[in-house]
Formats: sequence, C-alpha cells, structure tokens
Amino acid sequence: MSMSTPEFSVESLKMLLVVAFLTLTANFIATGTGFVAALPGMALIVVLGLVALLMGRLIPLDLPAFAYAMVLAFALALPFSPVQAPFLAAVGEIDFLATTTPILAYAGLSIGLQTGKMKEVSWKLVLVAVFVFFGTFFGSALISQAVLSAQGII
Amino acid sequence: MTNDTTSDRWAPIRTAGRLSAHLRTHLTVLLIVVVAELIGTITFPLGPGQVVLLPLLYAVVLGLVLSYSVLGSVIEPLRSVVDEDVSRIASPLLVIALMPLGVKYGTLVAPSFYDLVAAGPAFVLQEFGNLGTILIALPLALLLGLKRESIGAAVSIAREPTLGVITDKYGIESPEGRGVLGTYMTGTVLGTVFFGLLGGFAPATGLHPLALSMACGMGSASMMTACSTSLAAAVGGAGVAEDQILSFAATSNLLTGITGLYMVILVGLPVITRLYAVLAPVFGRDTAAADGGE
Repeated sequence: MSMSTPEFSVESLKMLLVVAFLTLTANFIATGTGFVAALPGMALIVVLGLVALLMGRLIPLDLPAFAYAMVLAFALALPFSPVQAPFLAAVGEIDFLATTTPILAYAGLSIGLQTGKMKEVSWKLVLVAVFVFFGTFFGSALISQAVLSAQGII
Repeated sequence: MTNDTTSDRWAPIRTAGRLSAHLRTHLTVLLIVVVAELIGTITFPLGPGQVVLLPLLYAVVLGLVLSYSVLGSVIEPLRSVVDEDVSRIASPLLVIALMPLGVKYGTLVAPSFYDLVAAGPAFVLQEFGNLGTILIALPLALLLGLKRESIGAAVSIAREPTLGVITDKYGIESPEGRGVLGTYMTGTVLGTVFFGLLGGFAPATGLHPLALSMACGMGSASMMTACSTSLAAAVGGAGVAEDQILSFAATSNLLTGITGLYMVILVGLPVITRLYAVLAPVFGRDTAAADGGE
C-alpha cells in the first residue's frame, strides 16, 4: 500500500521530532547546550527537513532529500540573504558532530539487514572494493591538489 | 534496489499499530547516542598520521553489533528487543535523520560561497578522480583471478546510481552484477568506518587538506561525513578552517550526487570495458574460461 503525500508528511514529521530529540540529547552531552537554547534552531531544522523530504518525493530529479536540505539552508545562509544572521545564530546552537551521531546509529542498525548478503560476497571482491575506495579517494585528491595548486589557491 | 521503490521504502515509518517496534527502535538509538557521546572524540597518533575516533564511528559500530543479525543472532533476549523490525524501521529513518546534518552543511557552505566558486574548476575535474578506481582496482581484480566480475567491482565506488546502471545493463545475476554488488555491499557495511579512519590519517600523505576534503565527497552522505569530520579533527584548524574542510567535502559530495550517474555511463563504463579487453589477457589468469565466475 503506497503512502499518500499527506500521510507521508504526517509520519515524516513525527520521525523528524524523534530525530530532533535525539540530536538535542547528543548536542547537550557534547557541548552542554541546553534543550531550550537549541530549540529555535531545531524547530527551523524540522521545518526545513520536512520541506526537503517533500521536495525529494515530489520533484522528479532523482536527488536525495539530503541535497535539498543542504540547498535550502544554503540559500537562507547566503551573505545576501536577509535572514542570514538570525538563521545562522539559531542553527549555530546545534553542534555539527551532534547531528551525525543519530544518523550513524540508525545506519548501523539498518546495516543489520545486509549482513546476510555480505556473507555471499567473496573475500576477493571485498579486497577489490578496498582498492576501489583508495583509488577513488586518492584519484580525486591528486587531481584536486594539482588543479588547486595550478590556480594558486593552495 | 534502486530508489524507485518509494512506497515500500517508506512504509516502516508508519507508527499506527507499530508503536512497540518504533519505541524499541528509537530507544535503542537513544542509548547508542548517549553512550557514543559520553565516550566522545578520541585522537591519538599512529606512525606518521593520526587516528581520529568520533562518536559517529562508535554509533555505526554499536548499531551494527546490536542488530538482530549480529549479536542478536546469538543472544536471544537481545533479539527479542532489537529485532528485524528495528532494522527495517532504521532504514528509512536514516534518510530522515540526515535532515539536521543537511541543514548544518548548508549553513557551513554558504559563508564559503565565494571560495567554492573560485575552486570551481577543481571541483569539476576531481570528479574524474573516480577513474582512479579503475586504474588501481581493475588490474588487482584480474590478478586475483576475477573475470567479468571485475568490471562491476572496479567501475566506481558503486553507490546507488552505479548499482542501478550496472544491474540494469547486465542484470543482478550476471558476473558484472555480482561484482558491483560486492563493492556496494562492502561500502555499505565497512565504508563509513574505512573512510572515517582514512580521513584522519590522510593528512600524513602531505596532500593539502582542501584537496583531501574534496576527495571525501564520493556520493554517500555517511561516508563523506565520516571522512570529512575526521579530516577536520585531524587538521584541527591548522592552516585551513574546519568549516571550510566540511563545506568543501559537502559540495563535492553534492556534485558527485548530481554527476555520478553520468560519469559511470559516459566515462567509467566505456573506459573499463575497453581496458578490460586489453588487460584481461595480460593480467587475467585462465582467460580461456572467461565468464565462468567463481
């Protein structure tokens, strides 16, 4: 049974509120910032998050909601945005690293679904994958290094 | 496996009649978050580089270890709390939990807007860095005795767009399909921890932190985050501001998200199939039995 857009919005909002609570908890432990001080910023994050999730669902561009969340916040925080200062001040109460911990906790639990399939992957393919990781990382880093040096940026 | 199965993918976030499973999921995550944050960031030198252990790394490891298919498969009482339903709910929740991070990244990127525009050419050209995977990993795959699996395995870092392209073109049961699934699965299970450690250690190579931060963006939000936050922690603001490292990585990741599919179709796949035809007879073992698979 596929989910209608209004139902998706309501269920997503509930989950965003759960995530907001988790992030505020991580934020409090990591930085000592209280829930009340961080609440306005988190409220903005929940609203932008909901809009981004809906954009990801409704815009036929095949971009993830994460990209929309980034672009929306980016637009509000640009130097010529009229709300730049209050927006940055509110969201600034929430520590960057604190937002990453709940994500990876959910990611870890969801990887549990894949460990069965992982057992079917031969050690040779795992080894090749590790070389792929190194290759893509250092391939990009070497090109960036060369171009940034050529431009005189670094 | 691609992202078209929208309805199935989101169904687990429904709370009606599933309150118990939802409570168990979110309380497990709360516990993991509290433990991970209480341990906090640990940094220590190792050889020429640094090991950076961030709360997000403990979180992914704890989540995986506590899940039904790992510790749950041996400890019955744990499995009755953290069951398969918990992992099913966690899967779409991952997308929702990315929203605060997406907003934070947006606020980091905006102030360095002009720096990013200035670095535009580097951003575009480093997308071709993906070809490094082919040059390094294809010969190795052939030396290991892999055949057409190596095309799928080495074509790119194989996040969702690549997985879609390869399985679409060759089929998931084909050797190429098995290869791409191998790299995809390895990335899913090990990628975050791998790039978290690599990000902390990478400054030891002498490459500039900005170049390394661009390399962190390879089309997976969690890998990019682990890589760039560890890199920022290892650099510690020396020469380059942490926010700048994070925003360069996020921009590169966004760009890969947009161009990744076309890089695979227009560049990666044509290059690797031609290179395979040339290299397979040289490096490959037992080429007569091509396509046999393992």
